[in-house]
Amino acid sequence: MIPLDELSFQHTLKSKQHALMIFIISLVTFLFAIYSMGTGSSSNLGFWTTLKIILGLDAGTELQSAIIWKLRFPRVLMAIVGGAALATAGALMQGALGNPLVSPLTMGVASGAALGAALAIVVGWSIVDNHDLTIVANAFLFSLIVVFIIIQLGRYRSISAESYILVGIAITFISGGIVSTLQYFATDAQLSALAHWSFGSLSRPTIQNAVFVTMCLIILMPTALKWSWDLNALSMGGDDFAISTGVDPVRTRKNILVLSALMTSIVIAFTGLIGFVGLAAPHMSRLFVGTDFRKLIPCSAVLGSMLMLFADTVGRTLFAPIVIPVGIMLSVIGGPFFLYLLLKSQEGNHD
Amino acid sequence: MTELLAVKDLNFNWGRNEVLKGISFNIESNEVVAILGVNGAGKSTLIKCINRILKMDSGTVKVCSSDLSSLSMMELSRCMSYVPQTVRTSFSIDVFDVVLLGRRPHISWRVSPRDQKIVSETIRFLSLEEFAFRRFDQLSGGERQRVIVAKAVAQDANLLLMDEPTSDLDLKNQITTMKNISQIISRSHAKSALIAIHDINIAARFADRILLLHDGRIISDGTPQEVLTIDNIAMVFGVSSHIVPITDTQPMRIVIEDELQDMEGEK
Repeated sequence: MIPLDELSFQHTLKSKQHALMIFIISLVTFLFAIYSMGTGSSSNLGFWTTLKIILGLDAGTELQSAIIWKLRFPRVLMAIVGGAALATAGALMQGALGNPLVSPLTMGVASGAALGAALAIVVGWSIVDNHDLTIVANAFLFSLIVVFIIIQLGRYRSISAESYILVGIAITFISGGIVSTLQYFATDAQLSALAHWSFGSLSRPTIQNAVFVTMCLIILMPTALKWSWDLNALSMGGDDFAISTGVDPVRTRKNILVLSALMTSIVIAFTGLIGFVGLAAPHMSRLFVGTDFRKLIPCSAVLGSMLMLFADTVGRTLFAPIVIPVGIMLSVIGGPFFLYLLLKSQEGNHD
Repeated sequence: MTELLAVKDLNFNWGRNEVLKGISFNIESNEVVAILGVNGAGKSTLIKCINRILKMDSGTVKVCSSDLSSLSMMELSRCMSYVPQTVRTSFSIDVFDVVLLGRRPHISWRVSPRDQKIVSETIRFLSLEEFAFRRFDQLSGGERQRVIVAKAVAQDANLLLMDEPTSDLDLKNQITTMKNISQIISRSHAKSALIAIHDINIAARFADRILLLHDGRIISDGTPQEVLTIDNIAMVFGVSSHIVPITDTQPMRIVIEDELQDMEGEK
């Protein structure tokens, strides 16, 4: 007979192992961020020089300092916070809808953003006059419309997870249709600008953008974590089971969807379409720390940062000085890696 | 004895179909109450009205001396736990963590050593130790059902609502699980269980009281001896039977003989 303490001990041990895992991924991400800031087409500064400049121990030459702080830091910061936000949004959305196939783009947030961007690029219509922000502001506004639709849907008590997904697909088709119509009438230059927007790139965001996303993330992340237990109950046993543990499934689902759609909108308004990290990072995290959202959310966040940072660094160094957009790199490198992990995790279940 | 549940004049309709008509009963502490009735009699519906998964059309339900509608979801889950008939798992977790979800109404973020101890004790009590760190979705149907019962037990609520908690279990585990539930009720003195059961003999053996549900109404409410008469069984289940009375060594048993011809249906 297994002693009682043994069960508690094993449970605690597992939690500690998971925490260690999250710490290791964070550490690797941090070290890689330093490496990434020291590496690029203009000059390679080396790991230690970069670390010293970042920590303020050594000012470096004016050029070195400028390259790090003005060029690479905003990009790396955006990769870290953007990856974290999209991966968290993906974990939240998969949990709230109880479906492993959904990603932050399922609810139509991205297609809303694309419609906003297309209006700005093709028609020249924008909600703001500031030329730097026309596309960003439009993309954000139109993805907020999707968030608003989710809120409205949440008012129906009987709305199920499947209905949300279907509505998301409908929104995607509707905005896709309008975007295609706009493309049909667009000039070559406009088409090319729109295509570039949809690649998803970290070249566009400025340091102000990156800091803005960071601040949003600092506010939204604890809110997401606060829902961990409710998500655990909901994704473990469905609506009736959730109710039996004191969780209101309808309200939880609505709040989580709004939160994750908001996180997604904030990032893709600046970067353009980046989808894969929001699907893959939560699944990879499940292989590392299981499905408890108290660990899954932080693990997805740091893993999302790492994937995005890695993909972007490869994208801008592989064929330097040509920069391949991060959205493309994520699918090209991340896709096979994701498949490999999935197949490997199936080995255990295979006779 | 304190009153844990008071249901008065509860009505529930699915569209124009009246499912429950004027249901009234009370549950005191320290009793195991079984709901018996044919498929579709409204057993699950009644339980789901009591825990507010379904909204009753009229009537009052008082739980833990408060009106049902005045309690928040969280307050309700501290007052009553619930074993649903089926659980739809989308992302599976370890058995230990499933049982730990029973502590959810008592946890804000951190799992305390006390919660871990309660979970470990419950796992031990329901003999689930060998599965404790296996994933829920890798268990058999019967094992899963026992894990969900364990989760409800770990919740430590005074009223346990169970919707056919033994339907997927083999013969031995049906008896073991019902014994465990009876033990939990009798050892605490403050708790009671309301259990929808389809097996008439399991109900006769383990219930202190039986509510017989027929055509949306409770047609009989009392001890198994009072409720499970040949006439009642014939009327509700449409079968003939004979009853082997309770003795010192044997519980009361109902032996089902044959289906009865439907008098109204045939002319």
